Amino acid sequence: MASPPTAAVEPVLAVHGITKRFGGVTALAGVSLDLLPGEVHCLAGENGCGKSTLIKIISGVERPDSGEVIIDGVAHSRMNATSAITSGVQVIYQDFSLFPNLTVAENIVLTAEVAGRQKLYRAASVRPKARAIVDELQLDLDLDSEVGDLSVADKQLTAICRALVHAARVIIMDEPTTALTHTEVARLFAVVERLRARGVALVFVSHKLEEVLAISQRVTIMRSGRVVTSGLASDFDRRSIAEHMTGSELDESRLVADLDESAAPRLVVSHLDLPGAFHDVSFSVRPGEILGVTGLLGSGRTEIAEAIFGARPAASGEIFIDGRRADIRSIPDAVDAGIGYVPEDRLSQGLFLEKSIADNIVAGSLDRHRNRWHGLDRARIRATIAGLFSDLKINAPNPEAPVRSLSGGNAQRVVLAKWLATEPKVLVLNGPTVGVDVGSKAQILDLLRKAAARGMAIIVISDDAPELVSCCHRVLVVARGRVTHELSGDEITAEIIHERMAA
Amino acid sequence: MSAKTTPDRRATPPSPAQSPQRPAARFNDRLEQATRGAMARVAGNRKTGRMVVAFVLAFSIFAIANPRVFLSPLNMQNIGVAAPEIGVIAIAMMLAMLTGGIDLSLVAIANLSAITIVSLYSGIAASDPALAESLTIPILLAGVVVGIGCGVLNSVLVSVVGITPILATLGTMQILNGIAVVTTGGSTLYGAPAGLSAFGRTALGPVPLLFVVFIVIAALVALFVSRTPLGRKIQLEGANPVAARYSGISSRTVLTSTYTIGGALAGVAGVLFLARNPTASADYGASYVLLVIVIAVLGGTNPNGGFASVAGIVLATLTLQIVSSGFTALRLSSYEYAIAQGVILIAVMVLDYLMANRRSRRSRVEPGPPPTPPGLADSSSTTLTDSH
Repeated sequence: MASPPTAAVEPVLAVHGITKRFGGVTALAGVSLDLLPGEVHCLAGENGCGKSTLIKIISGVERPDSGEVIIDGVAHSRMNATSAITSGVQVIYQDFSLFPNLTVAENIVLTAEVAGRQKLYRAASVRPKARAIVDELQLDLDLDSEVGDLSVADKQLTAICRALVHAARVIIMDEPTTALTHTEVARLFAVVERLRARGVALVFVSHKLEEVLAISQRVTIMRSGRVVTSGLASDFDRRSIAEHMTGSELDESRLVADLDESAAPRLVVSHLDLPGAFHDVSFSVRPGEILGVTGLLGSGRTEIAEAIFGARPAASGEIFIDGRRADIRSIPDAVDAGIGYVPEDRLSQGLFLEKSIADNIVAGSLDRHRNRWHGLDRARIRATIAGLFSDLKINAPNPEAPVRSLSGGNAQRVVLAKWLATEPKVLVLNGPTVGVDVGSKAQILDLLRKAAARGMAIIVISDDAPELVSCCHRVLVVARGRVTHELSGDEITAEIIHERMAA
Repeated sequence: MSAKTTPDRRATPPSPAQSPQRPAARFNDRLEQATRGAMARVAGNRKTGRMVVAFVLAFSIFAIANPRVFLSPLNMQNIGVAAPEIGVIAIAMMLAMLTGGIDLSLVAIANLSAITIVSLYSGIAASDPALAESLTIPILLAGVVVGIGCGVLNSVLVSVVGITPILATLGTMQILNGIAVVTTGGSTLYGAPAGLSAFGRTALGPVPLLFVVFIVIAALVALFVSRTPLGRKIQLEGANPVAARYSGISSRTVLTSTYTIGGALAGVAGVLFLARNPTASADYGASYVLLVIVIAVLGGTNPNGGFASVAGIVLATLTLQIVSSGFTALRLSSYEYAIAQGVILIAVMVLDYLMANRRSRRSRVEPGPPPTPPGLADSSSTTLTDSH
């Protein structure tokens, strides 16, 4: 890790005393921050702490009520998105805002051409420009492939290259590591080092504290619209960052209930096979047990979950629930057998964003709430909704609020509530705390422990090692479609999980 | 909304979507429900409320412009008799749009239903008029069954074969229109059961029976959509088909029943055609296809699916019917009525846009937590390609 830049360096960008109110709510209260050339600055905070608003102000999307943004010593009080870009501020959002139907080279160069008010587009000039940037960062990107066909990691690199076309001085990356595997994160960090060498200041907005700590020189932590603390990354660790973010001490120690060893397994998966995805997968889960399944992206972990849930049924093999063979050919088969699935992509697969929390909660259990005239038993539905709404501590004014208005942690609780309403025997969760802030994460894991305590068999698919350590009785490691390791008891530590995943 | 504070049970108006008051339900329960639902109802009823305004506005304009003709009992009766057939088709259109689809074949189905009834009736009546009259109900049912059959055809194309609804129903519309022209030879058929025509002329006091039928159908569909598991699944399917699939909702079941019910309603509309006018032809109501889409959208149906209100459809149907008969009262032509339809549709859409803008500005007052970033939308597609 490079040494932190000295304070004598003039900041590329500084904000002073930024205050922003939305009506009666203060989103930012006197926030100051400075970014030095060649540093990676981690901006951490729970959802709703104001970091998104701060980024919007830096990038000229929102105007502050008071305070100023200073770029290269020039104060901008009325900056807009265009002047932010011309001043060299670039934001790379999680979806990268790329054109999937254009090639890598076109994506890298085109927006700059448009912004530069080029009247004509010269295809011939595109490649050399893009090539120069890709070479400078020593990337292995195929300039002619369509962006839609790229992996998430390569899309991200394309977005970084595009930012450099605009001669970016400040690059802000929103959750840059969330969708990447460990190798890809390492690759990204290598690119980040080269960007630093160019004197670019990088801001990482992230929930993944471990990774961010490894690359950042400085850390700024926000809570409720204020900067709580700011300092050298070496002065922080996971725990202290989490404490500053939540304002309370965080218990992330391993907490697993004792299991009744004699209990018959609730779920038995036997020799499950789907060509091209996974081979000969067998395991069992007892009532009350939380089984972790981990592996790199593309290892087959998601496919195994989707096969159990019937979304992509296995070609051969058997699934037993409470000793009875369940023939799962479709999702309704799985739901009838008592299997619930919290999907990987909660926004598109898990939630009806425009519908109310109440509608979302009962979406999976409508047939269970029938009265004797085959209509909906509204009293029972209300009881289910009210019960889950308060049990899961969903933070919303009332259950009629649309799900779109919720933060990541609350939205995930709604998906969880939807499945708890079906009273499943087996609950499979794919990345249950991805994009969820630290406080909500601990609460969601706690909800899983409680659900398991009621006799549910729970499978957690995750690449977040501390999370698996915190709640799982056993952890299966999947690689290239096969279960390669089974960890239990004292073997379950973050180090061993990382090691086995990479092996 | 007064429901929030007043304990008066009339404070929550029983719209068809949320009606029968169960006397046994405890008052406390009702109050709690009213409070919890108040927010959503304001949001859900905003579009219905806007239609109430349009309805009152249209009525007042014509009542003032030409009270003698427009307010005459005859004109009022005409509105009540003409609205049901369009309204029932618009409700069927709303169901299809609720799933995120559309059904262009509804008017063709209604015509085919009417032609079936007229052909059967006049065929039997030619040899034995009394027998034909006594078979009225089976003959009418035959028309509805034809509608259901056409609906099943649509549903197979949409849900089993997987053709985009607009193309599938465009195809069936052409086929059914063609069948209608071929069987009738392009001419208008005459003759409907006398009982049906009598029914069409009957009124309960000032309210035509046909209108009562319309309201009953609307209420039943409203109950179906909001109070049955299938109805809720139709809404969810339209709101997000992927999430519906991952919630264990079978899109095939949902789409099949939607288009079948739509066909049945169109079949009923065919019966209503005949109750008003005992003739059937292949080109009856040619302008209805687009008119019912206008009504559905005016009534608050989201063309992308997931949201609709039967009460809104009823109001939109009546509003357009009022404008139509008002134009007649002012001696304006049907072309001018066509212009008015377009103007109303666009005016309401612009109004929607302005209100949405104002709301979003107001809602910033309480920004809450920022919306979750787009998440891992790409990760599932990369799971197979990515193996570093």
